Amino acid sequence: MIKRESFLSMKTLAIIPAFNEEKSIASVIHAIKRAQPDMDILIINDGSKDRTSEVARATKHAVVIDLPVNLGIGGAMQTGYLYAARHNFEIAVQIDADGQHDPEALTQLIAPLLSGQLDCCIGSRFLMKTSYRSAWNRRVGILFFTWMIQWMIGKTFTDPTSGFRAVNRPIIELFANYYPEDYPEVEAVVLLERQKFRVKEVSVLMHARKAGRSSITPLKSLYYMVKVSLAVFITRIRNVS
Amino acid sequence: MNVYVLAIIFCLVFIFIAVELIRRQKLQEQYAILWLILGFVMALLSLFPGLLDPISHSLHIYYAPSLLFLLGLLFSLAFIMHLTLVISKLHRKLTRLIQEVALLQEQLRGKESNS
Repeated sequence: MIKRESFLSMKTLAIIPAFNEEKSIASVIHAIKRAQPDMDILIINDGSKDRTSEVARATKHAVVIDLPVNLGIGGAMQTGYLYAARHNFEIAVQIDADGQHDPEALTQLIAPLLSGQLDCCIGSRFLMKTSYRSAWNRRVGILFFTWMIQWMIGKTFTDPTSGFRAVNRPIIELFANYYPEDYPEVEAVVLLERQKFRVKEVSVLMHARKAGRSSITPLKSLYYMVKVSLAVFITRIRNVS
Repeated sequence: MNVYVLAIIFCLVFIFIAVELIRRQKLQEQYAILWLILGFVMALLSLFPGLLDPISHSLHIYYAPSLLFLLGLLFSLAFIMHLTLVISKLHRKLTRLIQEVALLQEQLRGKESNS
């Protein structure tokens, strides 16, 4: 469907989970197309109430999957990995629909996978000093998870909640079968480390969100912190196969 | 009317409702069996309250009816745990079902636009 040039040597898919993102989705798709013309783009419309699906389709640059029921970020992302697994993609990149992730950084993100150095590459806002500033409660949450992962697997991830990440074929297959729910980024890191995949961060620049609001309120973030901590702890002590 | 007669009537009504629900196929057999067992145990104990005394005595429970409460509570807890297990399993299956439907819809759309 989408013509492929020889720029990327491996079949690569950008998975964008979108829930009510009609304002930003088109510019995100165009920005990816500009930065990586050979990358296929997949939008998972997670039961949006607005025109996200129509707007994304109208760009003609993306395949759009409409979930008939809202599944949340975990279920939506897993749908993307299922698609990637069944269409034989070798690399899948997760990108947020709100314009926080700069597609210009995709090359850095994918390079370690193309060369076979890493299985999963995570874009971090905090690895090096960037202009990015986040709200203090967000920062506390991120620091908490950094500490928790450090404590559990003895490795430091400066931005474990980052949804800007690239994975290779074995991980695509793993995620198609099993992907954590609700707030899956932190859990996925622990899961991958437990499965002995090579995971590392690269420094990327992130923008403040362009449109829409974060779905995370202070009370919700406390609930998520407890819930994700439990899930991470369970992931640490069980074997997922 | 004393409490034992009331208990027996209550048990009979309970068993009747359980049987009726199974007959109308509103209750799956796996759960029906549990509810029926509970109904019959309760009926037995209210018909022969003397049964309770030796059991509670051997467990060093001085007030026999509290054994009933204990059994009831344990049964309820086990049943709720079982139900949350069933719900979790259903949730997983439903998620996969929604994903498959969405993927199929996309495939169908692709086929239609090609032809």
